Amino acid sequence: MTLSKNGEIGLAVLLVVLFLIPSLMLGLLYGEAPYHVVPGEPVKEAADAAGISVVSVKGTLWNMTGTIGGKTYVLTDPEGDTAIIAAQAFDSADSRDAAVRLYNANAPGKGKQVVSLIVVGQYLIYATPANSPVFAKLAPTLQQAARAQS
Amino acid sequence: MSADPPEPATGMSKKKVLGLFALAMINVAAVLSIRNFPSMAIYGWSCVGWYVLGAILFLIPISLAGAELATGWPEGGGVYAWVKQAFGEKGGFTALFCEWSNNLVWFPTVLSFIASTLAFALTPGLASNPLYMFSVMMIAFWGTTAIAYFGEETSSKFSNIGVILGSIIPAVLIILLGLWWLGSGQTLVLPPFSLGAMVPTINLSTLPFFATIVLLFAGMEMAGFHALETKDPQKDFPRAMALSALIIVVCTVLATLAIAVVIPADQLNLASGVMQAIQYFFDAAGIAWLVGPMALLITLGGVVNLASWLIGPAKGLGIVAEEGNMPPLFDRTNKYGAPVAVLLIQALIGSAVSLLYVFLPSVNQAYWILSAMTVELLCIVYILVFAALIKLRYSQPETTRPFKIPGGIFGVWVVGGLGLFGTTLAFIVGLMPPSYFSSGITYVLSVLLGTFLLAVPPLIFLKLKHPGWLKKTPGGTNP
Repeated sequence: MTLSKNGEIGLAVLLVVLFLIPSLMLGLLYGEAPYHVVPGEPVKEAADAAGISVVSVKGTLWNMTGTIGGKTYVLTDPEGDTAIIAAQAFDSADSRDAAVRLYNANAPGKGKQVVSLIVVGQYLIYATPANSPVFAKLAPTLQQAARAQS
Repeated sequence: MSADPPEPATGMSKKKVLGLFALAMINVAAVLSIRNFPSMAIYGWSCVGWYVLGAILFLIPISLAGAELATGWPEGGGVYAWVKQAFGEKGGFTALFCEWSNNLVWFPTVLSFIASTLAFALTPGLASNPLYMFSVMMIAFWGTTAIAYFGEETSSKFSNIGVILGSIIPAVLIILLGLWWLGSGQTLVLPPFSLGAMVPTINLSTLPFFATIVLLFAGMEMAGFHALETKDPQKDFPRAMALSALIIVVCTVLATLAIAVVIPADQLNLASGVMQAIQYFFDAAGIAWLVGPMALLITLGGVVNLASWLIGPAKGLGIVAEEGNMPPLFDRTNKYGAPVAVLLIQALIGSAVSLLYVFLPSVNQAYWILSAMTVELLCIVYILVFAALIKLRYSQPETTRPFKIPGGIFGVWVVGGLGLFGTTLAFIVGLMPPSYFSSGITYVLSVLLGTFLLAVPPLIFLKLKHPGWLKKTPGGTNP
């Protein structure tokens, strides 16, 4: 089988398109979490709904542009698993998305991130350890709350 | 397959400009990254245990395997040449392509690291401006591509200077500050040292982290792409592997511990960006004025890290194209011997993916799934390299290997086996969805489909392969 010059260019274009498919696929599959103001304390409300105890709470302000405060919770579930969940609010979609980019950029080496992060309205909810079962119980409620108010 | 590697039919640069130090710096540039330290410091003393695990299951095996393969087959193309000897063109091309394609997914994250770190030195608020971010990312990306355009000598000089200024000096500075902290009797935020504290906790929660720790040292094979330009590959490769591994381990472990003993874990959790951690560190040490210059150095370190991954695999792909496995469009080289067509296509794809990353929040927010694809693609590369190491001891035992893994065939099985175990396990746990992700099947299918799409082009090229694709020699005939 031979390829004309146009065929070669077609192959190069195919290569470019192949690389864009995963990104576009993600964009379509997962959609954007819109920026909007979620009232109250979504983490505490989700913990209450999931039967998870709040061990401690303290106010925190991350050293990033656009942060307007938030809280860090130490949570424990009935099985004894513990997680640190931080909720930080941002003043705009741009500053919130910049923090998400920072999160993506901080994965060690070429690996995956060592903490979990989800977007709920104006909040970034940041959980340690990354694969915490406590966060697994909270996340559906948090995501549902974000969708319900969007 | 011939035991003696043929002289490659390549128009790419064969000027021997790289010595021991330059080769070692190529590996250090690819692997040593300041941005790893705060993320790893979260683990306190147990980060040492994680590093040891990464060293046993990946760093040591890949360094030894790279040294044996690079000295046995010093013909350019790095992993392509090695895997091709063991598994033929299809295997070699697939390994090389996965090494190249994972970069194109990873570039936006390292580019945004460069842009946001530079913003920290200028005006931190700039990091929230997508136009600023995209502009700086493109300047860094195309600028690095331009350096690669001028060939091995230029990119090697850039790498040598850049890695010292941007990676080694900042790491040493952090280590010295940590030592000063210890010596000056300041409060240590870590509990007292004990051997038990260094043992990592391995359970279902931490298992996905295993893939990250194994690939923390990915890039140790990078020097292999530069074999054609190496003055004395048989002698210099093993020594360069040892020197770079030593620099990487010492800087990584000590700098991570320096941050861990000074900055409370909750501060690292909350402000996990490297510059935020360094600002905390320098404020505490009373040298806040150094934060800006440090940000500039770390920005340079990010560019050098990018350059290392941008140039090496592109050179390998250029060789694959020149051997007739890709259409002639892809095998264009310039007078400096740089694979310009591959560099240009790489820059176009990287720019397009970065555009989506910066301007489409949905892509940005789901980018961690693309990070998982990076892990899978890299694991494919290393699985093939370790398998090739073992197979070649059987299929080409007579080939002279100036560096041989000690212990004969048993030693090769231990080294290759550990590497295969580590990377295969990393591949499997890389498919584990995060605990909070509602649809595990969707996640696994997304990652596998994306990985397949980014690994399959070599099979398409080889299916369409034609003798006319082989690069003509200056005499006008195919070699």
